[in-house]
Amino acid sequence: MTDLTPMGALGTAGPAAARHGALTLTEDCAITLLSLALRDETSALADLPLPGPGAYARSGDLAAFWTGPGQWMVESRDAAAARAAIAALPGARMTEQSDGWVVIRICSEAGAPPLRALTEKLVNLPAETLAPGRATRCQLHHLNCLVTRPAETELCVMTLRSAALSLWHALEATARRLPAAAAT
Amino acid sequence: MNARLSGGLIDRSKPLSFTFNGRTLQGFEGDTLASALMANGIRLVARSFKYHRPRGIFSAGSEEPNALVTLGTGARAEPNTRATMIRLPEGLVARSQNHAGPLGFDLWSVNDLAAPFFAAGFYYKTFMWPRAFWEKLYEPAIRNAAGLGRLSMQPDPDSYDKGFLHCDLLVIGGGAAGLAAALTAGRSGAEVVLADEDFRLGGRLLAESDPLDAATAADWVAKAEAELRALPNVRVMPRTTVFGVYDHGVYGAVEEVSDLPGAPLRQTLWRITAKRAVMATGATERHIPFRDNDRPGILLAGAMRAYANRWAVTPGAGKVAIFTNNDDGHRTALDLQAKGVNLLGVIDSRAGATPFGDYPIFAGGRVTGTSGRKGLRAIRLSWNGREEELSCSALGVSGGWNPNVQLASHHRGRPKWDESRLAFLSHGGPEGLLPAGAAAGEGSTAQALASGQAAARAALEQLGTPAADTPLPQGEDRQIRTEAFWHVPGKGRAWVDFQNDVTVKDIKLAHQENMRSVEHLKRWTTLGMATDQGKTSNVTALAVMAELTGRSIPETGTTIFRPPYTPVSLAVLGGGDTGKDFRPTRLTPTHHWAKAQGAVFTEVGQWMRAQYYPQPGETHWRQSADREAMAVRSAVGLCDVTTLGKVDVQGPDAAEFLNRIYCNMMGTVKVGKARYGLMLREDGFAYDDGTCARMGEEHFVVTTTTANAGLVLRNMEFARQCLWPELDVTLISTTDAWAQIAVAGPRSRELLSRVVDDFDLSTEAFPFMGCAELTVCNGCPARLFRISFSGELAYELAVPARYGHALMQRLMEKGADLGVTPYGTEALSILRIEKGHAAGAELNGQTTAQMMGLGRMVSVKKDSIGAVMSRREGLAQDGRRLVGLQAVDPQQAIPAGAHLLATGAAQTMANDQGWVTSACYSPHVGGHIALGYLEQGEARMGETLVAANPLQDQQIPVRIVPAHFVDPEGDRLRD
Repeated sequence: MTDLTPMGALGTAGPAAARHGALTLTEDCAITLLSLALRDETSALADLPLPGPGAYARSGDLAAFWTGPGQWMVESRDAAAARAAIAALPGARMTEQSDGWVVIRICSEAGAPPLRALTEKLVNLPAETLAPGRATRCQLHHLNCLVTRPAETELCVMTLRSAALSLWHALEATARRLPAAAAT
Repeated sequence: MNARLSGGLIDRSKPLSFTFNGRTLQGFEGDTLASALMANGIRLVARSFKYHRPRGIFSAGSEEPNALVTLGTGARAEPNTRATMIRLPEGLVARSQNHAGPLGFDLWSVNDLAAPFFAAGFYYKTFMWPRAFWEKLYEPAIRNAAGLGRLSMQPDPDSYDKGFLHCDLLVIGGGAAGLAAALTAGRSGAEVVLADEDFRLGGRLLAESDPLDAATAADWVAKAEAELRALPNVRVMPRTTVFGVYDHGVYGAVEEVSDLPGAPLRQTLWRITAKRAVMATGATERHIPFRDNDRPGILLAGAMRAYANRWAVTPGAGKVAIFTNNDDGHRTALDLQAKGVNLLGVIDSRAGATPFGDYPIFAGGRVTGTSGRKGLRAIRLSWNGREEELSCSALGVSGGWNPNVQLASHHRGRPKWDESRLAFLSHGGPEGLLPAGAAAGEGSTAQALASGQAAARAALEQLGTPAADTPLPQGEDRQIRTEAFWHVPGKGRAWVDFQNDVTVKDIKLAHQENMRSVEHLKRWTTLGMATDQGKTSNVTALAVMAELTGRSIPETGTTIFRPPYTPVSLAVLGGGDTGKDFRPTRLTPTHHWAKAQGAVFTEVGQWMRAQYYPQPGETHWRQSADREAMAVRSAVGLCDVTTLGKVDVQGPDAAEFLNRIYCNMMGTVKVGKARYGLMLREDGFAYDDGTCARMGEEHFVVTTTTANAGLVLRNMEFARQCLWPELDVTLISTTDAWAQIAVAGPRSRELLSRVVDDFDLSTEAFPFMGCAELTVCNGCPARLFRISFSGELAYELAVPARYGHALMQRLMEKGADLGVTPYGTEALSILRIEKGHAAGAELNGQTTAQMMGLGRMVSVKKDSIGAVMSRREGLAQDGRRLVGLQAVDPQQAIPAGAHLLATGAAQTMANDQGWVTSACYSPHVGGHIALGYLEQGEARMGETLVAANPLQDQQIPVRIVPAHFVDPEGDRLRD
């Protein structure tokens, strides 16, 4: 284990967090992200059926979403297990991406409506594109982002790690203004 | 409050205080600023644009041309706000504008006396000479005298944001047609957005006294709104103006979220993507120009009716008259009478017109003039061959109704004249936009309801959604008879466009001046070009022009509208983010460390990079940069180079793929080695360079310049997906994944040896252009590249980005005794110029491999993008070459961008021999040096030229030298 101390993408020692109304924003520093590319017709990674375009799937500790033909982003909290699962696939190509992205999880305590209100202010996408089990690449405040919806009450937004503060500003400022917008 | 009537949709239990020009007044919840001013007996509210004429409230909606006021104070002062559209909040501060001195005694009203000299076209003819006076004298003076409100000149402190909506049906307008459309589509299960610019749904239904079924219209509207709000598939958006129609069914809208000063959110800019839209935008009443028709107290008859019915207020304390050419004017008379207003009578331009109730009628009459300095006192009536002056405090004018077809014009749809309705109807509008109700010329309540429902049904059918049965209430179904009567001929000024002070005479003058096309008329007179876009004037002006030319209205032309429908603030168009948040910034992994060291940052695209690290006693950036550069030459320096693009290239065909991408051979690079590579555009010019490291048999890491990181990846992806899909290769950007630090200088190896874990850094084990995966600092995964941009022994060490900050700290700590020094982009630039390495200035899209002295890199043993084109005639013969330039006087700076000329040659393009690309002061050389492209440069070493900068009258003698000022043999970097 290295003796270098890691720093979060937002420049904080631990994961950044903020709460606005029913929404909680948390930086996910513990997630392992691996790009997976397959040339053949492999349809599953361990027990995880690899999802099609626009889809997000989870099985146990492994989750994945489609990023292009034959390409997925794999998420896991067990880096070694995820790497081993990929390595077990013949011809699989893997690129370490954990440090390439800042991952912000947004959870709602009031069901889906606050998340829908938030995404309406953030991305130019119909609501069904961000329904639970969906994933997409989109622009958000001039940032290229990956947005996934692991659950009804959870939304995950990722962008380039270097733009973490800009993304955090966009998400937090929007979440902060939501109650004012909803009051009309 | 002397003008309140009974009834209305105001809440008398909720009084509100506000101020107008410092005077405290009272209104009620439900009032607009206009209705509250009227209720307080205030008629004079503004001064006109050009002649500073006294003006009052003219309409009851967004078409208002006169009652523009400034709201708020200080930085929140917002000019040119229509009083008719402001929902009255508690504490509102409003001021009139465009006057010198008090509103009642505007000194600029002298313009009105000089009006004969200020006719249309006056500026174009008068301010021609002397030419230089226009910019310095005439224009500033005119601008000072004209105009409306003034900006605060302070940053807007309010908060704005933006959002995106997607729906099956967007219903624009919440009047009878819009509500019928929304109810029909909403009950059918379609995703519906209903937007209305008013703060209350209902449109004209709120302004009328007619019932719907057995209930009042307001009750029916409330019921309909409650139902719509309860439907999960319907979004009701009052105070939301759809201001523009854009491509692919996208509509722009602004929602007024809050009107309270300092509210957390003031406005939201919505981009609404709708599969279909119903344009239920209603209609705007026309006026009839007659002499002095602009006095406060003269307003549209329909507006007068709205003020009476909805806001329980009358614009005149005395007698009120109506001047009309249609039946609708009589409707106003009846409603006013029912409210107890003292009615003078109805002047109907139609001979033989009969009254609709018990009031005097002047059939075939005309209003030929008015009097009253700051408000209407009397009208002059021409009737039955007699002229008489009648005392009158308010006059309602009705010249018929213009359907609000503006949105249908936004895709160049030109409205068509409908002679039976005496109105322009939309024609050729944007696909999917369906007009309904008064906007489609279906003006009665029954027609509007049916037409709104029909539009929704048509939209649903097109979308394949079955329409649910939606019974409609019974509404009035009057047939409004209108007789064309466009203006009252006569002497004096009859105003057509109130906001831009354009009269019938001006239109005549334009006609005399041969401005026969409508477009010329508009530009000559500025008619319709004010912030109201001529909502109350365009059609009337066309009709007047038609009369002058003896042609019909359709023969004369049509009018067209552009977005926005009503003014939109730039603040909300900006979407809310200002200052440093206006666009994203990217920070390097060592940003926070550099900031703590006091680094000065520079923007490089979106990146913030440390430019230099000032030390105590350094007063100029060059002192810092020179110190940093010398530290690299003599000891060891550290620079964050994370910003360089990194592309992970994997797959069995990776080598072949890179052979085709780079102009030089890349497939032969051995595992564990890196190679400098150059990429060409399809046209053969160079566009990016960098290193390509082979980490494994099927695994390469491509580095790009910072500026082209995105472009190179995009081009590589295009090649992978479209040009050579048969190649089995995968590309992933890893720019952000790795923190990369350049460790450069003769003591770099020694420093690195203190952080690597069991890794042999000797030249034998890890030679120049070597690359390896290793660990550092007790197990941190890392990549090491022995590459040099400075010409010194150098490395680039990459670790996962989260460790970049700590690695920089560790390297600084471990290298303290070695003289380790962080360096920024200024020193980086000095070092690479001294070494003669190309960067962005040398790769500016106009240069070739040959020009850079790298012609042989373009391999003839393989094909690659741009290779063939680089050998084409004209390009291959280009004799310009990259050279070094040294100032003859070492202390004389060489301006980058200067052109190279023979000494004594005239500074003309014919004598141009090349240009300076990059320049700096070289602490290593001890003088100013530069790089540049020069004709036959390689054969002219030692020659002296002039670097000319004619813009600043600089001519710097320079000597041509090799581009490598440091270690031309390259011994240092191979050591």
